[in-house]
Amino acid sequence: MTMEMAYYPGCSLHASSQLYDIQCKMVFNNLGVALKEIEDWNCCGATAAAKTDDFLAIALPARNLGIADATGLPEIMIPCSSCYSRTLISQQRLSCDPEIKDAINAELGKKIDGKIKVSNILEVLRTKIDSGEIAAKAKKKLAGLNAACYYGCLLTRFPCDVQVSDDVENPQGMEIVCKALGAETVDWSYKTDCCGASASVNDAEESQLLMSRIFKDAIARGANCFISTCPLCQFNLDAYQDEVGKKYGIAERLPVYFITELIGLSMGFDPIEMQIDRHLTDAMPLLKELKLI
Amino acid sequence: MSTKTLNYDTTNAKSLLREVSERSSQNLSACYQCRRCAAGCPVGEETGVTPDRLIRMVVLGDREEALNNLLVWQCVACYTCGTRCPNNIQTARITETLKQMSKEAHLDPLRPRVADFHSSFMAAAEHVGRFNEIEGMGLYEAKTAIKELKKGDLQAVIDEMMGQAKLGMKMMKKKRMHFKVDKVKNVAEVKALYRKAKQGKGA
Repeated sequence: MTMEMAYYPGCSLHASSQLYDIQCKMVFNNLGVALKEIEDWNCCGATAAAKTDDFLAIALPARNLGIADATGLPEIMIPCSSCYSRTLISQQRLSCDPEIKDAINAELGKKIDGKIKVSNILEVLRTKIDSGEIAAKAKKKLAGLNAACYYGCLLTRFPCDVQVSDDVENPQGMEIVCKALGAETVDWSYKTDCCGASASVNDAEESQLLMSRIFKDAIARGANCFISTCPLCQFNLDAYQDEVGKKYGIAERLPVYFITELIGLSMGFDPIEMQIDRHLTDAMPLLKELKLI
Repeated sequence: MSTKTLNYDTTNAKSLLREVSERSSQNLSACYQCRRCAAGCPVGEETGVTPDRLIRMVVLGDREEALNNLLVWQCVACYTCGTRCPNNIQTARITETLKQMSKEAHLDPLRPRVADFHSSFMAAAEHVGRFNEIEGMGLYEAKTAIKELKKGDLQAVIDEMMGQAKLGMKMMKKKRMHFKVDKVKNVAEVKALYRKAKQGKGA
């Protein structure tokens, strides 16, 4: 039976990471979840709002929450870690600060009531693991993949008191999904370390140092790929890997898969339709070598 | 690690501590300098300033140091320090506040590119309600190029342009560039929130 879930793609998934948007829709549709993109959503402000204006950091995601509440759906899934984090932080603040909530609601056509549950992609996937629905749809075992599951910062660490969906220091959501798909994972030390986020643009030296540590540890532990759920983490590790590798003397290059790509492959989806051929660090050769495509 | 002596400002320490604590909603007085934050900070080694040290600057009232140090500009807001702090102090919130205070005091940012990136991002997100990568990056590159040229550093502009062109070509080749402008229909509502922020009626 199909269930409907509200869905906030965020700006990345409508631009450079459109492949992730396409994959989310394909995978969840096959799991019986119709993702309903909320109408006329705006940018959540990402980290830029928090660094420049405390009011906008709360108000921008708040407008989206008002729109999401108006759908009457019980849950909204937000695949991007930054959008998810900012929206959850905003909802928490609105719930305990009626003054700011009223100030924002005064400007909104669709008022915030705060009822909708804000979920990240791993939370939703976990329920589909527990119900056995992923196992039922996962036709192909992803044997040979040995993944370094990379969570980054914003899935488990928050600047305020919210319900955290996984273990803060050693999250397991992606490992559990991998296990259900027949892929192996490595134990490693940098799964929740920072890739530098937008510093890859405005402070390349710093972000490349951070990324070099992530690459080195994953390789030393024997991983043959990364898995990510965040479009910015994925983009950074994917787009800058070659440059960082050359600078820090790292010879290996590992493909950086979105979790939806692994689930989709296991479900038998066409890799080209999922746009796995559009990665900046080629993601196809490993799949061919392992005869997964 | 920086071992620069901090100045204890007996007259202004209290007011600085109060301002930073209120604006960041963090209880800086609770810090007992255990340095668990310092152990986890991914940028502390490079910046020479760890979260414990930043808090100390504020507590002692050393306004100049607190508003002018690399941690304020190079903190990646990974929230590791705050997650591990036994007293629940989120230094990333403090660096966010100090960035804003530094701007209000008209100080030149120690990392101008960081400041320009975030202001460009917010301007692009206000324009059509969603962040357009080409507009945001264009604004940012223009801002930094003007600054570099004013300093007479043409080489920095060339290096930046070459780097971005290389990435842009790679993205074009892999069909990762999107030229369609994704607009919010009711962008007036988004702009109203920006207006309210400018009037200082919010948080």
